[in-house]
Amino acid sequence: MIYLFQVLNGIGLGMLYFLLAVGLSVIFGLLQFVNFAHGAFYLLGAYLTYDLTTRGFGFWAAMPLATLIVAGIAALIEALLLHRIYKLPHTFHILVTVGLALVVQELIIIAWGPLGGSVPAPEGLQGVVILGDFIYPQYRLFTIGFTAVLAGLLWWLLEGTRLGAIVRGGSESPANMALLGYNTLRINTAVFGFGAGLAGLAGALAAPIRGVEPFMGIEALSVAFVVVVIGGMGSYTGALVAGLLVGVVQSVMTTLWPEGARLMIYVGMALVIALMPRGLLGRA
Amino acid sequence: MNPLDKPWAQLALALLTVLILPLFLKSGILATEILIFAMVVAACNLLLGYTGLLSFGQGIFFGIGTYAAGICLTRWSVPVPLVLAGAAVLGAATATLVGWLSIRRQGVYFVMLTLAFSQLFYFIAYTFSGLTGGDNGLLGVPRPSIGGTALDAPWSYYTYVAVCFVAVFALLVMVTQSTFGRTLLAIRENEGRAAAIGFPTRLFKIEAFAISGAVTAFGGALHAMLIGVAPLSNIEYHTSELILIMTIIGGSSSLFGSVLGAGFYLLLADALSTVWPRWLLLLGLVLVTVALFLQRGLWGLVERGYDLAFRRERAPETPAEEH
Repeated sequence: MIYLFQVLNGIGLGMLYFLLAVGLSVIFGLLQFVNFAHGAFYLLGAYLTYDLTTRGFGFWAAMPLATLIVAGIAALIEALLLHRIYKLPHTFHILVTVGLALVVQELIIIAWGPLGGSVPAPEGLQGVVILGDFIYPQYRLFTIGFTAVLAGLLWWLLEGTRLGAIVRGGSESPANMALLGYNTLRINTAVFGFGAGLAGLAGALAAPIRGVEPFMGIEALSVAFVVVVIGGMGSYTGALVAGLLVGVVQSVMTTLWPEGARLMIYVGMALVIALMPRGLLGRA
Repeated sequence: MNPLDKPWAQLALALLTVLILPLFLKSGILATEILIFAMVVAACNLLLGYTGLLSFGQGIFFGIGTYAAGICLTRWSVPVPLVLAGAAVLGAATATLVGWLSIRRQGVYFVMLTLAFSQLFYFIAYTFSGLTGGDNGLLGVPRPSIGGTALDAPWSYYTYVAVCFVAVFALLVMVTQSTFGRTLLAIRENEGRAAAIGFPTRLFKIEAFAISGAVTAFGGALHAMLIGVAPLSNIEYHTSELILIMTIIGGSSSLFGSVLGAGFYLLLADALSTVWPRWLLLLGLVLVTVALFLQRGLWGLVERGYDLAFRRERAPETPAEEH
């Protein structure tokens, strides 16, 4: 029974990792840009949710608001700063986004202090679900369902709509898209905001589960990297499979070896890379 | 080529730094820290500037060296030279493993892997707290002693570290000037071509990793003896980030640039962190500025200054190096 509990926890966690990784992937796919500030957007989403709920907003208003604010800030940063550095080598992409992540982290400590805080489960989801002798928190069950719906929407958005086609077209050949009359600059801004918004949403959803603290961003960034390395960048299915795998491994290990649970994520990644250098799904 | 980039000029500048620091700095601890990080950052530069490998995992090797010194000196009182040698060997072995796994993927995947490995080693140190002291670290790491007298005064330990620094820096200059170093440059410029000529490029990259790891762990051991503790923070992500930032700020086109990068960062940190605990905010802005306007780093600035002062005809602008 404890394993069922942990597997469910892991699926919830894994879906958040999936959201993070897809955001990272979409940005990389279109812009060929590694966003080391991705964890900072997750952090910001969590803190905005924390702030809005302490100001008396309900979680149901705070979560979408936090997501939109993060997406807006990210789009602004892209339009003002990042589009200037796309043509530079990767080193400078990393330098700038590491710098941005530091700025966000320090601003958050200035605004909300270094200690962090907790976010209560939203009204209506504070209880538990009881099925026979199985007891599970309602909010965690909600995140699984909600992120599953989101995952379906994302798949439809990226694979089934004109917007998704534009994004994929832009990642294949920006020049051709511009020739076809698309404003690639505006698309870049929108996609960066969208990807960062997904990180912000993951942060907002995670806040009631794990609370907020200023250094949760780097942890999220490195887990997103693990997911992307195992699942392949630019692969929707890869991010989903790898995200769930990492989440479940982490959760189940929490029961078996609590101190080493997070260590096992990285040991698992090292094993995958040693045995399957191209990742689980074998894409470059 | 700028005369300042010649190997002898680089070595002379390093020697000059060792002699000048005591004249300008009051704190022997700060001066020693600058020299330790200068060699560690130069080792990172061997990967970034000379091999084209952006490693986000240098903190792993630094931490390994720190713990090697911490464990050997607090539990068994092994002689210091042996500890330093052991730290270097352990660092090289770890770097070989991390390098072997990481270079299986290229480009951004490589960078992401090195970052994930830095988390892996952090959690190892955190989990096995019986060995590493966990959050508390290992306390009471002694300074080395020479002829029976411990080098407890900051400036006498500075001298010890200075000798190590000059030796290591000379070694790194020799590596970059050797056929091996030239081959690394060829790999950085065009890996496919280097492989086509017949160089086993993966082996060369792993060897570069091993050298870099050895030097970094050596520096980590010196650092533990400097501050008297082997802290968990030395193996954290933050240390890897720090080493990389110093490397890029200093400029990756010359080894002495790394000395400048380490000095710039540590002096800035020393001046600002007491005044304003949130000074990392400013550092973030500095990084953005460097990427936009100073892509060859502080060393690029030095080269430009030299050209303006001593050369009538200005050399054509060299574009930022592709990685």
